[in-house]
Amino acid sequence: MDRLNIVQKTLMTLTLAFMVLVVVIPLLFFITVSFSSATDMTEFPKRLLPTRSVTVYIEPVEGDTYELFYDYGRGDGYTSIITTGVADRLETHFQRQYSVSVSGDKLLEDFSRTRIEGPMTFSYKKDAFYNFKQFFRIIPNAAPALKNSIIVSLYTILISLTLGSSAGYVIARYRFAGREQLNVALLIVRMFPTVGISIPMAVMLIKMGLFDTMLGLALLYSIPNIALTSWITSSIFIGINKEMEEAAWIFGASRVRTFINITLPLAFPAMAASSMYSFLTAWNDTISALILTNENQTLSLVVYKAIGTTSSGIQYAAAGSIVLILPALVFTFIIRKYIGQMWGGVEL
Amino acid sequence: MSYLEIKELDKKYTAKGPLIVDKMNLSIDQGEFIVFLGPSGCGKTTTIRMIAGLEEVTGGDITIEGESILDKLPKDRGVSMIFQSYAIWPHFTVFENIAYPLKLQKIDKNEIRKRVEKAAQVTQIDNLLDRYPSQMSGGQRQRVAVSRAIVVNPKIFLMDEPLSNLDAKLRVSMRTDLRDIHDKLGTTSIFVTHDQSEAMSLADRIIIMNRGRIEQIGTPVEVYQQSATKFVAGFIGTPPTNFFEVTITEADKKLIATGGGVQLSLSKKDTERLSSYKGKTVDMGIRPEYLGIVPLDGHLENSFATARIDFIEQQGSHAILIATIGTNTVKIETSDFMNIKAKSEVQVFVKKEMVSFFDKETTLRI
Repeated sequence: MDRLNIVQKTLMTLTLAFMVLVVVIPLLFFITVSFSSATDMTEFPKRLLPTRSVTVYIEPVEGDTYELFYDYGRGDGYTSIITTGVADRLETHFQRQYSVSVSGDKLLEDFSRTRIEGPMTFSYKKDAFYNFKQFFRIIPNAAPALKNSIIVSLYTILISLTLGSSAGYVIARYRFAGREQLNVALLIVRMFPTVGISIPMAVMLIKMGLFDTMLGLALLYSIPNIALTSWITSSIFIGINKEMEEAAWIFGASRVRTFINITLPLAFPAMAASSMYSFLTAWNDTISALILTNENQTLSLVVYKAIGTTSSGIQYAAAGSIVLILPALVFTFIIRKYIGQMWGGVEL
Repeated sequence: MSYLEIKELDKKYTAKGPLIVDKMNLSIDQGEFIVFLGPSGCGKTTTIRMIAGLEEVTGGDITIEGESILDKLPKDRGVSMIFQSYAIWPHFTVFENIAYPLKLQKIDKNEIRKRVEKAAQVTQIDNLLDRYPSQMSGGQRQRVAVSRAIVVNPKIFLMDEPLSNLDAKLRVSMRTDLRDIHDKLGTTSIFVTHDQSEAMSLADRIIIMNRGRIEQIGTPVEVYQQSATKFVAGFIGTPPTNFFEVTITEADKKLIATGGGVQLSLSKKDTERLSSYKGKTVDMGIRPEYLGIVPLDGHLENSFATARIDFIEQQGSHAILIATIGTNTVKIETSDFMNIKAKSEVQVFVKKEMVSFFDKETTLRI
C-alpha cells in the first residue's frame, strides 16, 4: 500500500479523532454521571471528570446548630443550604447530597471546632461507589435481577451452543437432501425480531409452565442464536480438515470422543464468538423480558424501569447501567482473542 | 495364504452412480510394499479408504489374516494411516499427537513415553517432541504423522498420497526414508500415489488402476517393460510410450507392421504372437529410449521411418527429441545426437525386441 502524504495523514487522523470523540464523550459523560453526587448533578456546566471530595463551609449558630453552606460553582459563592444540629439529619444530608458516608456524630464533632476557631471549610472524601450501592438499595430487585441476567445468559449460551454447533457440524459434514434449504431457513429465523415472536412465545411458555422463568426467556433468546451459531460454526467446521477426524477414528477414538477431543477444540474460536453473540442477546434484551417476565426480571429490564421511575436521581440509573455494561465488556474482552483468531484466519 | 485379500470389491457413492471401484480382486502378502498408482479419479484412494474403514463397501469383501474386516470400526481393523494433509492435530504437541492413539488404548504412561520416543527416533523428530505443529515445517509434520502411524504397531500401514504436499526435493528424500522405515519394521504397507517415479522407486509391486479397475499388478520392471495394457504403457514412463496405429501384413513369411509413415518387420517372437492378426490393425507401442536416430545420409540396415525433429528438450545426460513421423508426434530419447538441430530430418531405427503390440478392442498386450 502506498504511504499517505501529510495531508491525507492529517485528514485521516482528524476523522479518526472525530469518530473516537463521538463515541467517547457521551460514554465519559455517562460514567461521570454514575459517579456524581446529587449536588454534582445540579452543577452547570457539568464537569467531565467526577469530583473526588466535597467541601462545605460551616458557621456555628446559636444553640447546638450549625449553618451549612455549599458553593455550587455558579460564581455566586457559598449558598446557605440547611441549618441543623441533629446528627441523623446531617448524616442523611451528606449521603444524599454529597455521596459522603460519614457518621452524623463525627460531623458534629468536626463542626464543633468552629465554635472555637470561627467559621471554616471542611473537606470530606466522597464515597465513589455510593450511587452503585444506592442503586441496589433503592431498587430492591436489582440484585436478584443481576443473578437472573447471569442465569438467562448462561442458559442461552448453553442452548444455542449445544443445538447450534450440532446443527453446524451436520451442515458442514454431511450431504443430505434439503441441506441448502436448511442453511437459508436458518437465516430466515434470524430475520424475525424477537419482539415479534414474544407474544406467541408468551402463550406457549404459559402453557409449558415456563412463563416468568429464566429457562423460558432463554428459549426465546436461543431462537435467533441457534441459527447464528450454526452459521458461524458450520463455516469453521468446513474449514477443519476432515482428515483430522478420520485420523482420530483410525487411531482409536469413537465419533463422540473425536468430536470432543479433536473437533471442538479446533472449533473453539467459533464457539467463543457465537457464545458472545448469544450472551449479548440475552444480556441486553429489554423488551422481550418485559413481555415474558413478571417477577423474575432481568437486570436490563430493571435498569430500564429505573430510568423511568427513580425521579430521585438519574445518577443511580447511570450506575445501574454501568453494572449492566461491565459484564458484557469483560466477557467480550476475554474472548476477543478467539474472535480475532476466527476472523484473522488461523491455520487449522 | 495371503495377508490382505480383496475380493470382488465394488464401490458406488450413490445408488445409481457409476462404479468407482469395479470388481477388484487383489491379494497382498505380509511385509509387502504395495503401491496403488493411477490417474486421479481412478479409485485408488477410495480403495485404501475402504480398507481403512472410512468408506462403506458397496459389494465384495476385504479380509486381513483370513478374517473379514467389513463389520469392524476403523479403530478395530489394526490399520494405521498417513494422510495427504498429514492430519496431525494442531492443538496437540508432537508428543501428544503421537501418544494420543496409545492413550486411547489406556496404556501405562511410562510405556507410552517409551514407545513415543522410540517412534520419534525412527523418524528423527525426537528433539521436537514439545513443539506444536504450527512451529514445524511440512516435512517435519509429515514425520510426526509417520511416527504416529508406526507407534501403534499396525498390521497394515496405509499411506494416502503422503508426499504430495511436500516440495520436490523433500519428496525424494522422504520417500527414501519411508522405504527405509518399511524395511526396518517390515510392516505390510499400501501406498497411494499418482506419481509414477514414487511408485517405481518404492514398490515391491505396483497396482495400476484406471477407472476403478486394476490394469496391471506387477513389479516396477514388469509394469514398465511388459505393460499389460495400452493404458499402462501410456501411463508409465516419462516421456510415455509412443503409439502407432499399424496394419499387420505378411511378406516373405514375415509379418510387417505399416501405417502412419512407419514400417517395421517384426521380430521372430512377435511374428508368432501376431500370427492371428494378419490384415488387422493394432496399436504398436515403442518407448522413447528404444528409438534411435541416424543422419539421413548415414547407413542404416533397417530403417523404421524418416522423422522431422520439431523440438529438442535437453536433459543434460540425454535429450528428448520431439519429432513428427508421418501423422504421429513421437518422442525419441537420444544421448548420441544431443546437438542435433531442430527442423532437420533424420532416419529412425528401432530396437525390435522392445516393441509392444496392443489389441485395438481389448487394449490388452498381444
